[in-house]
Amino acid sequence: MKKRRSLASSLTTVVLSIIALGYLYPLFLVLINSFKTFSEITSNVLALPTRLVFENFTNAFRIMNYPQYFINTLIATVVGVCGVVLVSSLAGYRLSRTKTRYSFIIFMILIAPMMIPFHSFMISLVKVAKELHLIGSPLGLGVLYWGLGASLALFMYHGAVKSVPQELDDCAMIDGASPLRAFFQIIFPLLQPVTVSVVVINTMWMWNDFLLPLLVLSGSKKSLTLQLAAYNFFGLYKVDWNYAMAGVLLTILPAIIFYLSLQRYIIKGMVAGAVKT
Amino acid sequence: MTPLKRKQLSRAMVFTGFTLPALVAILISVEIPFLMSVFSSFTKWNGLDRAQTFIGLENYKELILDDLDMWKAFGFTLRLTLGSVIVTNITALLLAVLLDSDLKAKNTLRAAYYVPNIISLIIIGYIWRFIFSAGFESFYQITGLEFFMFSWLGDVKLVYFSVLMVSVWHSLGFYLVVYIAGLQTVPRDLIEAAMIDGASAVGRFFRVTLPLIMPSITVSVFHSLSNGLKAFDVIFSLTNGGPGNSTTTIALDIYRTAFVINRFGYGTAKSVILFLIILILSLFQVRMFKQREVEV
Repeated sequence: MKKRRSLASSLTTVVLSIIALGYLYPLFLVLINSFKTFSEITSNVLALPTRLVFENFTNAFRIMNYPQYFINTLIATVVGVCGVVLVSSLAGYRLSRTKTRYSFIIFMILIAPMMIPFHSFMISLVKVAKELHLIGSPLGLGVLYWGLGASLALFMYHGAVKSVPQELDDCAMIDGASPLRAFFQIIFPLLQPVTVSVVVINTMWMWNDFLLPLLVLSGSKKSLTLQLAAYNFFGLYKVDWNYAMAGVLLTILPAIIFYLSLQRYIIKGMVAGAVKT
Repeated sequence: MTPLKRKQLSRAMVFTGFTLPALVAILISVEIPFLMSVFSSFTKWNGLDRAQTFIGLENYKELILDDLDMWKAFGFTLRLTLGSVIVTNITALLLAVLLDSDLKAKNTLRAAYYVPNIISLIIIGYIWRFIFSAGFESFYQITGLEFFMFSWLGDVKLVYFSVLMVSVWHSLGFYLVVYIAGLQTVPRDLIEAAMIDGASAVGRFFRVTLPLIMPSITVSVFHSLSNGLKAFDVIFSLTNGGPGNSTTTIALDIYRTAFVINRFGYGTAKSVILFLIILILSLFQVRMFKQREVEV
């Protein structure tokens, strides 16, 4: 019986591995073709490159203006993620601790956006962003992300604070700590699992976001994010597959590295975010 | 001031200090724009002028009575959503069940299936444009299968399946991990009890496992439903709504109405409709699915 079971399980493993390889095969094709010459690609996409053409990458790197757009994306993402963590942990904590009707109403107002899809207010958002001078810079984009990411994060913090004993707050107060200091030194560290989830969810989203950057950045060429740069680059080279694939690979590389190094946290964080809603 | 009053005041100040930043951020980025959109949907506004002329329900009238393109986009969005909700959830659940058995390679496999999900949808569209054109040409040369010479992005009938396949390929990993997490909450002894009672593997799955992971199903269907209704990025890069406008989704239609042909007022009316569609369908879905959830 046991032997049969282990046989069945190794058979399942083999089958699932083969499916997984097929599943990732398109990405493998991107990888090998980004190292080929154009004529090699047109003659056979599936063959391995005869020699590695690194010029595809240096050209794509240069034409895409990669370093600048990488930094822009990093600025928007870091500003966005830090802002979301800060405003939502503070509000989630205080709202969870204050059990009044007024506090409940504020909480409802703050989490209502979870039911409002981005596309239903993006037109007016561009107008508001223009009025507040938040368009045309990665910094402004990062600031716009605060409100867009805060509702879900706040909801997650609000739930997690319930499992942190109220006595901890009281102790800190008796010791004379200010409310802000008590929060950052005692409560916030205990909420670390939620913070990890919030950081993961928001980093993946902001780094890969396309539509909002398109709406608020596409007017100023030096402020683009990597996704926008890839969009422009692909428009130019949609037939020159060797450049296009090198550009694709360069664009997804940061996310892949991020994923490979923090894989377990990322999967856990994404699940937590999904299940909480 | 009495000490009690002072204490109340300082409490109110702390409350305000902690919650105001989030409130301001959310008002600026979501709620004020949303209310402005609702207002603009009753106006004629080209986006360039500040002036918005109030025209009552004209936008909604035009949208419902005259706008064939919008209805076409609506139909395509619904078909795409329905297809992706069904295909994604069934495939993900099936894979999750297979992966949930005691496999040594479980974590590696789960991580592998998740990879497409970390890539932006805009790039996913470009990758598949490459596969559908250059890639399929090579496949045809090797296999000789007519299948690979079909115009997967140029044929009005086929393009639905291409878009569906690419969307599922991208998001499957996400739903897979949600289902795996759900399966891990099913108590082992319940499965074993059913085994002792002589239930077959299929019977155990439908009678025991499935009812117990209903919460995961509710969540996954909810996400795939709203993501389907909001589809934009992948369409933008894969087909740009074509051929013709056969793959234009509501979100893409809204984008074009406002930012390409500059009918901002009319665009906001469409966006209000999108909000209502998503709200109604999601509430309906969650309600229906929640009724089927059981307690252990």
